[in-house]
Amino acid sequence: MDALLESLARTVPEAIVCLGLLLVVVLDSAGGAARRAIGPISVLSLLLALVALSRETGAPVASWSGMIASDPLSALLRALILLGTLLVLLSFDLGRSRELKGLGLGEFHALLLAVAFACLLLASANDLVMVYLALEMVSIPSYVLVAYLKRDPRSNEAALKYLLFGAASSGTMLYGLSLVYGIAGTTSIAGVSAAMAGSLPAGSSFGLWLAALLVFAGFGFKVAAVPFHFWCPDAYEGAPTPVAAFLSVVPKTAGFAVMMRFCFEALSLQRGGALALVEIVDWPQLLMWISVATMTLGNVAALTQTNMKRLLAYSSIAHAGYVMMGVVAMSEDGGRGVLVYLFTYVLMNLGAFGVVAAIHASEGSFDLRDYAGLHRRSPLLALAMATFLLSLMGLPPFVGFFGKLYVFGAIIARGPEFYWYAGVGAVNAAVAAFYYFRVMRAMVIDPETGTAPALSLGGREALALCALAALNVLPTLAWGRVDEWTRAAMVLLPR
Amino acid sequence: MNLEPTLAHYLLVSAALFALGLLGLITRRNAVQALMGVELMLNSANLNLVAFSRFGTGGIDGQVFGTFVIVVAAAEVAVALALVLALYRMRRTPNLDAATTLRG
Repeated sequence: MDALLESLARTVPEAIVCLGLLLVVVLDSAGGAARRAIGPISVLSLLLALVALSRETGAPVASWSGMIASDPLSALLRALILLGTLLVLLSFDLGRSRELKGLGLGEFHALLLAVAFACLLLASANDLVMVYLALEMVSIPSYVLVAYLKRDPRSNEAALKYLLFGAASSGTMLYGLSLVYGIAGTTSIAGVSAAMAGSLPAGSSFGLWLAALLVFAGFGFKVAAVPFHFWCPDAYEGAPTPVAAFLSVVPKTAGFAVMMRFCFEALSLQRGGALALVEIVDWPQLLMWISVATMTLGNVAALTQTNMKRLLAYSSIAHAGYVMMGVVAMSEDGGRGVLVYLFTYVLMNLGAFGVVAAIHASEGSFDLRDYAGLHRRSPLLALAMATFLLSLMGLPPFVGFFGKLYVFGAIIARGPEFYWYAGVGAVNAAVAAFYYFRVMRAMVIDPETGTAPALSLGGREALALCALAALNVLPTLAWGRVDEWTRAAMVLLPR
Repeated sequence: MNLEPTLAHYLLVSAALFALGLLGLITRRNAVQALMGVELMLNSANLNLVAFSRFGTGGIDGQVFGTFVIVVAAAEVAVALALVLALYRMRRTPNLDAATTLRG
């Protein structure tokens, strides 16, 4: 009983989100005036969870019989997940959305909270069983969210493709996890790491390599890495815009969280405050090729897109490739690079999707050609979009710059044999600048066909976008604080 | 002659099941048949887990894991069949190649 209460005390944020989710379901089925409370309740439960998380104290421990890791790393990642979900709920005016018109919003909030809850579990999963369970708990409500526009065949098609890819890659991952269990003889990540450090059964080197490859299929699907990315553009295009924005930041953060934990804790040995490779699995090599393919394919495919949701989908694939650089670096700096990149990505990508949603709410179009003359029709939207795009490009003084700075720095610190990899990343960043500038050119320079009237912008959207744009610049002024947070979260204990 | 099955036999069967499941998932046009492929993949992993649990040093961890997998598979297939039903209502066919609006 004591152990149970102690575990519960370390997962208060999860409990609050879970209660909020149940309350939303009850209020939605009560109907009538109760439904008006759903939005505020969701926001409130996320806010309370963030407060609870910030007040969490105690030494790093594995709670719930070793299923959940309660440590500084999981705390920061959970904070990012809660922040991302909160920003999605605050910055999208669901009532004004053309896509969601006529559909109930109760289930929408419930599903969003369900995914957020599962992401919290995934970010602190400390056992292979929990990794698989949490990953599926993220995936299943995500499929439903993508299919939310039930009268739109494209939404249904997107969800079906998402589900089939998801089922294939999670099945593959499960097969890999079963092999890891067979070789290590335990499902706990700490146990797997200990088994790797000891003597493994003869002939298990190929099996372990295969298992790592298969497990990466599941992680690759969650973060939309090549070759598991095919669902991503279709799912983003078919899904409602707030869902696409949510999927591009929150489950991706959780996916990188579990990838980092699996790579750094199960497949590496911590020696004297640094990570050492388990001798038989050279996973950084494997991950490096995935990362190179991911960023290159994402950027090249984004060049020719004219649908803004597809363009942002390919851009998010490319960004996953950059984040992976931090994991490949296999060091404290690399891990901090991943954290910084994920934090900045939440701010810039939600902003870009916010502008896309605002334009769709008043124009009914996702086509880049309809963005012509935006600087005249709505200077505020054009300015906000320019901020987010420059941040996505990685230009200082916008926060996106820091993400790239940290991961590239971590890779270069690994030594000359990794310079070419950093070079590929730099060339990719230049290619990406090309299509981000193309969007800006469409907004400012491209000639307008006819004289479209000024865009109407809801007060809440305007406020949210201004706040997000400010958040893309302001952290730069106090970067020392952000640096400190990531430094505290990513500590390899000397042992 | 000793006919007692060993770990290797179980692993061979599960590898074959996994390959068949993946093949079915990739090649079947009918959405329901593709989902059967998914079930085969999950159950091949289950077989692995239970076999490792029986023959290895892992205790009953693998059997517990397998139980969870069965539960998750049921939840997944419920959502999947709902989506297939929606596909059928809109396009009057359960074939996946009818769903080709999204491209590029």
